[in-house]
Amino acid sequence: MKVTIDKWIGVSTWHWNHAQDEVCGICRVAFDGTCPTCKYPGDDCPLIIGECKHAFHMHCLLKWLTTESSKGLCPMCRRRFKTATE
Amino acid sequence: MSRARRIAKELQAVQDDPQAGIDLEVINDADISHLKGYFDGPSGTPYEGGRYQVDIEIPQDYPFKPPKMKFDTKVYHPNISSQTGAICLDILKDKWSPVLTLKASLISLQSLLTTPEPTNPQDAEVAKHYLSDRKGFDNTAKYWAKVYAGADGGASGTAAASKPVDVFEQYGIDRESVKAIENMGFTQERIIEVMRRTGIKKIGPGAQEGAEDRLLEELLK
Repeated sequence: MKVTIDKWIGVSTWHWNHAQDEVCGICRVAFDGTCPTCKYPGDDCPLIIGECKHAFHMHCLLKWLTTESSKGLCPMCRRRFKTATE
Repeated sequence: MSRARRIAKELQAVQDDPQAGIDLEVINDADISHLKGYFDGPSGTPYEGGRYQVDIEIPQDYPFKPPKMKFDTKVYHPNISSQTGAICLDILKDKWSPVLTLKASLISLQSLLTTPEPTNPQDAEVAKHYLSDRKGFDNTAKYWAKVYAGADGGASGTAAASKPVDVFEQYGIDRESVKAIENMGFTQERIIEVMRRTGIKKIGPGAQEGAEDRLLEELLK
């Protein structure tokens, strides 16, 4: 039997590759989902990872850091939150 | 509504873990911001056997602000107001973090019962009792657990105690000392009021030196 492929469509899936956690500790929604204010996951609602290796939806973390009570600390380990460069 | 979704998830998580001995319930389905939490008094403490009810109010900007919690069940503890149930616990104030949950907060309250922090009290009178007479404090705390939290087959945790409360047990005040002063012509009510205010639990043998003089001085004011 001989098969001729007329046309094909590539489909791919994506997944945030962060080993430590599956959900954002702040909003409790999966990293692959969105923060509560966004509609589309992925590049529109990215993760942010600190030097301490803790990750959150970027929007969730920024909202926390704008509150006075955060004192600029990571919600997980209470170290000063600095975005990891690598 | 992120807040509502997170609260719903938290309620589910508590239901999925009955082993923890923690319960959370919404008072009114239309208002998810007012809940009641329940946990058991930790074993090896005067609160053992009691079931404690906590009133929980969730602020608009939760989880960026801590939930407001206070005890509905009366508790005799240095960091809990014996009058209002107000709680002094750092994570419910400046040490709050949005990754904490209602369940984690209730577990922290449970461990606060195990390890009081009398140097940073919410109830100064109770803290004084704890620091000056640990045994007397334990007895009073145990008595409160029985009367208010249903320990040892006492009243049920949420209902008010049906039998009259023994004021001596309730405040850890020595019965014989009060009787001795009553014989001098003061009313029991007044003596207990002054003893509570001054933190004097007993007079005579085994009491603090000068306790009787101080008490009489206060009574005569």
